[in-house]
Amino acid sequence: MLVDFDLIKRAQNRDSAAFNEIVLAYRKRILGTITRLIARSEDVEDVAQEVFLRLYFSLDQLRTPEVFEPWLYRLTVNAAFDYLRKQRRRQEFRMSDLSEQQVLMADATAGSKVEHEEQAKKKVRESVDSLLGAVSEADRILLLLKEVEGLSLKELEKIYKVNENALKVRLFRARQRVLKAFGAGGKKEGPG
Amino acid sequence: MRGNEDERLDALFGAYRDACPDPEASANFMPTLWARIDSRQTFLFSFRRMANAFVTAAVALSIALGVYLTIPRSTPGTTPGTTPETYVEVLAAANPLDTPDIVSPGVRVDLNGR
Repeated sequence: MLVDFDLIKRAQNRDSAAFNEIVLAYRKRILGTITRLIARSEDVEDVAQEVFLRLYFSLDQLRTPEVFEPWLYRLTVNAAFDYLRKQRRRQEFRMSDLSEQQVLMADATAGSKVEHEEQAKKKVRESVDSLLGAVSEADRILLLLKEVEGLSLKELEKIYKVNENALKVRLFRARQRVLKAFGAGGKKEGPG
Repeated sequence: MRGNEDERLDALFGAYRDACPDPEASANFMPTLWARIDSRQTFLFSFRRMANAFVTAAVALSIALGVYLTIPRSTPGTTPGTTPETYVEVLAAANPLDTPDIVSPGVRVDLNGR
């Protein structure tokens, strides 16, 4: 827990300063999670604000402060899912989407080491986004929370309020689909 | 048993985690958040006020309707202030001209007249 129970209780009693502290404590983590869940950097802050907005208006429904973090994650997942449902498309920021001038500028600056690192990171992001396209939005979010955010099955159980075995089955199936796409991608690319 | 592809996929997920670090919030994050909270609060407040007004109006209308329905009203053919008690009385009061002439005391039947 990044905040103590007392702070949560104060925020539940509409203490703005306490709520501010909670936002400041969790802001970076939530922004990071949303960045990976929605894969559209320009909308990350907007979705994060929606999460904290929902938190503000539903904090009084939280009965036990012990489940605050899974609850906040649940709000985050729901907000990300709502956003993705509205968008119905994934980030596909490829060279073909850039204007001719942007392509020329990208080519001109793609020589330095930093640029190479950025290109490598971009390639990783694109690969994972493409692989996760093999599963549904809901499974994509579930896989990301487990494999990338590193949440345990117990934590996921609290977030989703679903039996651990059901989660295991769902994760296994989603991972199998991604693995299949991963294998197919590897074969398509060939050795080299 | 986890295969080679499983391990490669795990490594790719790890690289993805590094490729998408937690971003810093912009300077406008908190002011915008509080502006959105205030805006939602104002909306909720006016909505609640409107809902309260609607509920009050509905209760007042229900009471008025209840009062209107319980006030006794006079029907044609009955003495004002009194209400018919039985179904037959209600029918008699509603259809006074339907009473057959044969039962009227002013009519005599002449059986010898042929």
